[in-house]
Order: sequence, then C-alpha cells, then structure tokens
Amino acid sequence: MGQTEKLSASLEDYLEAIFEIVSEKGGVRAKDIAAKLSVKAGSVTGALQALAERNYINYAPYEVITLTDQGTAAARQIIRKHEVLKDFFVDILGASPDIAEDGACKAEHVIPDELIDRLVTFAEFVQACPRCGDDWLQHYRQHCYQDTAKAFNDCQACIDNKSSSLKGNQEMIQQAEMCLADVPVGEKCVVKKINRKASATKRLVEMGVSRGSIIEVERVAPLGDPIEVKVKGYHLSIRKDEAACIEVQPS
Amino acid sequence: MSRKTLTVALAGNPNSGKTTIFNALTGARQHVGNYPGVTVERKEGTRTYKGYDIRFVDLPGTYSLTAHSIEEVVARDFIIDEHPDVVVDIVDASNFERNLYLATQLVELKVPLILALNMVDLAEKQGFKFDQEKIGRFFNARVISTVGSKGVGINNLLDTIIEQVEKGDAAPKDAAIHYGDDIEKELEKVMPLVCQEHTLAKKYGARWLSLKLLEQDKEILDKGHSPEVLEAAVASIEHLEKLYGDTPEILVAEKRYGYISGVYEQAVIRTVETRHNMSDWVDKLLLNRVLGLPIFFGLMYLVFKLTFWAGDPFMGYIEAGFEWLGGFISGFWPEGTDSALHSLLVDGIIGGVGGVVVFLPNIILLFLAIAILEDSGYMARAAFLMDRVMKKIGLDGRSFIPMVIGFGCSIPAIMGTRILEDRKSRFATIMVLPLMSCGARLPIYALIIPAFFASHLHGLMMWLIYVIGILLAIILAFILRKTLLKGDTGLFLMELPPYRMPTLRGLMIHMWERSWLYLKKAGTVILFISIVLWALTSYPKVSETELVGLSEYEAQQTELRHSVAGRIGAGMEPAIKLMGFDYRIGTALVGALAAKEVFVSQLGIVYSMGETDEESTTLRQKLAENYTPLQGFCIMLFCLISAPCVATLAVCRRETNSWKWALFQFGGLTMVAYIITVVVYQIGRLFIT
Repeated sequence: MGQTEKLSASLEDYLEAIFEIVSEKGGVRAKDIAAKLSVKAGSVTGALQALAERNYINYAPYEVITLTDQGTAAARQIIRKHEVLKDFFVDILGASPDIAEDGACKAEHVIPDELIDRLVTFAEFVQACPRCGDDWLQHYRQHCYQDTAKAFNDCQACIDNKSSSLKGNQEMIQQAEMCLADVPVGEKCVVKKINRKASATKRLVEMGVSRGSIIEVERVAPLGDPIEVKVKGYHLSIRKDEAACIEVQPS
Repeated sequence: MSRKTLTVALAGNPNSGKTTIFNALTGARQHVGNYPGVTVERKEGTRTYKGYDIRFVDLPGTYSLTAHSIEEVVARDFIIDEHPDVVVDIVDASNFERNLYLATQLVELKVPLILALNMVDLAEKQGFKFDQEKIGRFFNARVISTVGSKGVGINNLLDTIIEQVEKGDAAPKDAAIHYGDDIEKELEKVMPLVCQEHTLAKKYGARWLSLKLLEQDKEILDKGHSPEVLEAAVASIEHLEKLYGDTPEILVAEKRYGYISGVYEQAVIRTVETRHNMSDWVDKLLLNRVLGLPIFFGLMYLVFKLTFWAGDPFMGYIEAGFEWLGGFISGFWPEGTDSALHSLLVDGIIGGVGGVVVFLPNIILLFLAIAILEDSGYMARAAFLMDRVMKKIGLDGRSFIPMVIGFGCSIPAIMGTRILEDRKSRFATIMVLPLMSCGARLPIYALIIPAFFASHLHGLMMWLIYVIGILLAIILAFILRKTLLKGDTGLFLMELPPYRMPTLRGLMIHMWERSWLYLKKAGTVILFISIVLWALTSYPKVSETELVGLSEYEAQQTELRHSVAGRIGAGMEPAIKLMGFDYRIGTALVGALAAKEVFVSQLGIVYSMGETDEESTTLRQKLAENYTPLQGFCIMLFCLISAPCVATLAVCRRETNSWKWALFQFGGLTMVAYIITVVVYQIGRLFIT
C-alpha cells in the first residue's frame, strides 16, 4: 500500500477537499478544489499530479477527478481525525466551533493515530463515567467562563460539596474495616470476620465470639491492655492485639 | 440384694459451679488422683443412694471437647473409654448459651445425658425462665435445676440419675445437630469410608468420627485411619473451605452456636432485662481505671499481713508441741547416755519434720486467703489487671495466680500453672516460680535479719529480699521467653465470672487440698532427708580417745568436721569462699538443698546449739560474732535464688514431664545464685571495708 509514503499536510488537505466535494457533487474539477481551499488553480494541478502519482486519485487533464479506493480510505481516516479533534475541542474542552474547526484542521495532519484513539477513549470515559459525567463537564465549562477569583470560590463550594459526600463514602469504608479494638467502651458491635489462624479463630468461636454475635465493650484494664467485653451474656477478657483481628461493625 | 454400682461423670464449664455440686453430692468421701500419663487431676467421690453405689467422677472443667487442651482430651477420653452410666452436664443457667456449647458436643457422643441448670436462682433473678421439657427435647436429655451452693436440687439430681439408669433415655438418641446441607453432604461422603474402619467406627460412632475428621481434630487424625478416609476428609475440607472461606472446624462451631440460639429462642423466656447486676457494680470499683490497681495491691498486702499475723500464735503452739514430744521421747533414755536411736528420733526426725510443720499455720492461712480470692472470682480480675505487665515479660495474666501461691509454697504453685494453656508460657512460669520467696525460706530470713540488722531495718530487709526475688523472676522469665521458650503468648481469652460468695465447704476443701501437699512433703521427702542429713552430720564417728580432754563444745566441733556433711562443707569452701561463706555455712547449705528450712536447724547443729530455731538468740549471737552483715545478706540472697528444694524438683519433673527441665531449673537457679552472690559480696566488700 502507498501508505508507506506519508502525505504532506497540504496534500492531505487536498485529499480531504476532494473527498468532501465528491460526496457533495459526485465528481470534482480542479477549479472546485481551488475554490474550496482558496488557492490558485495552478497550484492545484501540481498537487493533483502528486496525488495521482501516489495512486490516491484518478486524474487526467480536463476530466472529472475521482478517488481511488486507497484515496477514499486515506481521506476517511483524515476526516475521522478531524471530526474527533473537533468534537473533543467543542464537547470536552468547550471551545467555540470556529476555533475548534481551525485547530482540528491543523492538528489532524500531525497527530498520530494512537493519540486519536486515546482521545476518543478519554471523551467516552468522561461522558460515561459516573464520577465525572455531564455535570462534571458542566462545572468545567462554568469554570472556563468565569474569572479566576470567582471560579475559585465556586470551586470551593463544589469541593466542599464533593468532600462531604466523599466523607460519607469513607465512613462506609471505615465501618467495613473497624475492629473490636477500636470500639469505644460502652458501645456494642457485631462481629463480621475474624482474621486469625484457624486454631485461634476456633477458640474464639467456641467462646461465643463468632460471626454475627453481638459484643459490648465493657472496659479497658487500668494499664490499658486487655479489654473486657460482654458476649452471649458473660464477661470475657481479650487482649487488644487479638481484638484488632476481629472485624466488627457498630450495631 | 447386692448393691449395684454406677459411674456418673460430671462435666461442665469452668465456673459453672461443678465443683460445688460435686462436693454437695459426695461430701468428704473424695479421692484425688491423676489421670494416667497426664498431670490432670482426677477427682472421684462416692455416694450411696436408693440401693446404688454411685461413683462420681469430676471431669476437668472445659468449654469444649476438642483436642485443644489436655483437659478437654481427658474429659472426652473418659466419656468414650470408660462409658459412664450417666453424664451430668452442669450448666450455669445465667450463662446459658455458652454453657450449652459443651452440651451440644456431649449429645454427639450419644451419652445418657442429664442437664443440670445450676444457679437457677441467680438466673431467675436476672429474668430468665426456662422451659425444661423443651430444652430436654433439643438435647435428648433429662433437664433439672439446681442451686449447688444451697444444696437445692441435689436429691432431685440423684433421683434423675437413677431414673435415667432404670428407664433409659427420655427420648431416642437419633436426633443430632444438622450442620447445614453443605457440611452434611460432605459428612455423607466421608461416613461410608469411616464405616469400613470397623473398630474405630464401633468405638466412636461413624458420624462423630467423620465430623471430627472434618474438624481436623488432632487426636482423632492420629488414630490410624486408612489413606482413603484421610484423603476424602482432606477433599471435603478443601471443598468447604472454598465454599465458605473458613475451615470446617470454624463452620461447625458456628453451627453449634446457631443451634443453641434456636434452643434459646424456643425454650428461654427473658422477663426483665437487667442491665447491670451486683457483679457489674463490684467490677466498676475493683477494675476501676484509677482505683483498680491500688485496691489490688492493698488486697495482696492484706493477704500477707493476715497470713503472718494470724499464724503466729499457732506456730507457737506447734513448736511447743514438738518440744514436748522431743522431751517425752528423751524420757525413755536415762540422762547422760548416748544412743544413736535417741539422737535420730529427737535431733533428726522431730527436729527436721517439726521445723517444717511449724509453718503449717502460715501456709494454711495463705491458702485460705487464696481460696477466698479464687472462689469469689477475684483471681480472674487479678489476672486481668496484671496481664499487661505479665505480657511484657512474655507471660500471661494468669501466670500471676501461681506466682502469688508461690509465696506460700512452690509445690501447689507449680501445680497451679495448669490453668495456662500455652505450654511455653507455662514452662517459663514454672522455671521462675521458686524465686517467689516461699514460706520455707522465711525462717532463714527470720534468723538472719535480726542477727545482723538494727530493728528499724527489719521490715525493709524483708521487703528487699522479696522484691529481689520478684524482680529476678521477671528478668529470668523475660530471658527465657526470648531464648529457650520463644514464642507467642497464645490467646488470653479468660472468662471473668460473676462474683460469688464462696461457700465455707468449698473454701475448706480448696485450702486443705493445697495444705495437704505441703504437709505431705513434710511427712515424706523431708522426713527422709532429715534422716539422711542426720546421718551425714553424725557419721563417721570420731573415736572416743580423740575426744578425751576436749570441752563439750570442742568435741562437737571435732565430730562435725569429721562427719560426711562437714567434709562436704569443707570441700566446698574454696568455691563458696567467694560468696563470703565458710565451711559451716556450706554444711548448712547441703541441708538446705533438701528443704530450705533445714538450713536453720543445720546451722544450729553446726554451731552445736542443740535445739535451735530462728528465734534462738544464742545462735544469732554466734552468727553476729562470726560474720559481717554483708555475709548475712549474702546468705539470704543465696538461699532465695539457689536451687529449689528436692520436693519442688520432683513436682517440676512431674509437671513438665521431663527431667531435663527439672534439672535445668535446679542447676540454672543455683548458678544464677552463685554468680549474683559472688558479685554482691565482692563489690559489697569494697564499699564496706
């Protein structure tokens, strides 16, 4: 395939223009191209010859120009890049369509295919992921339209808002990892899991400290180590390092 | 009609009041022994009732019947091997759920079972009501209620035992706990294979064996199963572990509690909810963050104060008694005659044994105080308070209890270490226990301290010597746990039972059992040693001609130097000189090896004081003339640390089941004593002179 030979930026522009005119009118003449790209007819001829040499177009003087299969594929690829970039600039970055169009036209020639794929994935992710999503983009856009100081204030409000909901999450996470040693005196909790080797776990279970049993922390010894708990209606003393292996949740 | 004999086993959790029931059933007709091969106490008692001779066996108190501890294995083996006619499970009714855990396992052994809901009065006060018939149906057992401390329900229990024997089970023994489809399915896979192991299956029952295999019970795994059975068990265990993320032994234990919760829902009604009972209020004070420790130390002080203060007059009586006995026996020989038998009886036996028995009042009182602390439930609190400290030195809060007992006598203290589950912490405790200055060392201090120190220093010196012992015990335990006995301290899961008023009968039995050990030592080991020592100090005799012309004092000196003990003492002199000891102290130390208290009487013999004890002023004068206070202190120090007495050595060997450990203790402590005393003496000399 002729793709081994990379097209220059202007040749790509030509190819793109030809593709667009073809899809509009069915056939292309040199002056249509000159009009679309705002160049002189003479320079169009040279470009068309270059493209014909690379087997992208069927070209003979005074005849209608058509794209070869290879030319169609290459043009589609360029247009896809263009569209992706433009959409990204508009939808994600919130740029105006004109600037986006212009930027896309320039970037499409130099950006590698892999980065385009990445941009697509990122755009999809931003739009689909529940943690960013549309409202997140909305906030971003508001941020762009405001002056810096004000934007920062809004950000603070937003951060506060987010962090409070995050705290809720964190509490949930902490609850999941709370252990008996952390339970304050006088509080009750329910055993979730015992993270000890089997023989020690069995001993605990036999003494009534098993999944689902309710444990009330009665007191801590004066020197700070063993704690006294109430389980199944009786009092049991247990060391803190053992209690740290017992996962619980408050009841 | 010939009387039929029955064997009834009493099972139950620790603190369930099992011993109280046992005492109420059998009274004084008790016999304490050991289970063969292990050091677990086996208590038996008999009772004749309605034409039956009933033999009650008090199984060790356990929470479960797994292979977790020797006690559990012993209890289980007794039930399986000796087929008791009835097993009575004593259940603390106020602690219903945990106590029934044991019952679920007894049911599985398919024994004729009676559940005695003990302390039911307390439970009712807390608002529990029990539907005994329903409970019985769940456990295939007859259920009765008792109040052991008041003797309520004892006759009913006896009647029920007879009824069980005569009429058989109240319900057919087919029902068993259902462990859920997944476990049951695995049991069904293992069971047919187990059934092929005929002898084992016949002895234990196929279902029980299969269950124990899934529980990975160490004892049962070692019973010589076929490879197929073991393979099937391993496969089942792995399958269940994958399914639940826990091993079957834990799942099974959880299911048992699940079953009990079911019983509780169905058969127990809670009428009033009491948040805090008396016991909780007492704990609020005794385990208070600020007051807890001061109260604890205050109680300890009180125990010792009481022991020595109240014991004093009785000691006087016993002393007088032995003196009278010595005089009485001497009366059979005409004055002035010399007889070997006379000397043996009066100087050897009465002097030696008497010297030990004199301390019996102290020992009895100390053990009484300890029994009160134990039976009331305070000892568990002491362990709770002290665990942090004990853990630091690699021991367990529960090690503290034997250590307190050690101040009385090392022998019951070493036996008391049985409450420690972890072997290594138990051994470390045993090794350092003799450093708890026992009652037998007291006469040595009582002799030495007034001889060398001004009266206002007496208390301080006594305190110092006890504290040195305690500190050394801490240091040595720490070193042992870091070296020879390295390892975790194990679980410190200890029940804090509700406070209870100790019963007089319980206290007396407790106290007597331990005091008896002490007395037995006096009657056996010390009697024997006294005779040997007497012989060592009396023979070989010097020929009469050599003594001609010497004063009585000089003659005795010559005789002693000539004797075996004198020669050993003299032989040791170069070594013990570094500690500031001469041959006379060396000779006395030979005696002290046998029993610490012998040191005093030996020293008396060495100084030819005839009848001497620690009150002897003349002996004290002699000592003060011959030695410096530093030497006196070194004597106490060496006696405190050095080799424990022969009786302790014997008990240590029995409890550790190893001569190696016993001799290690004996040699190790002696070496430590030697080194420390040499250092103290040599350094002390620099400062004092």
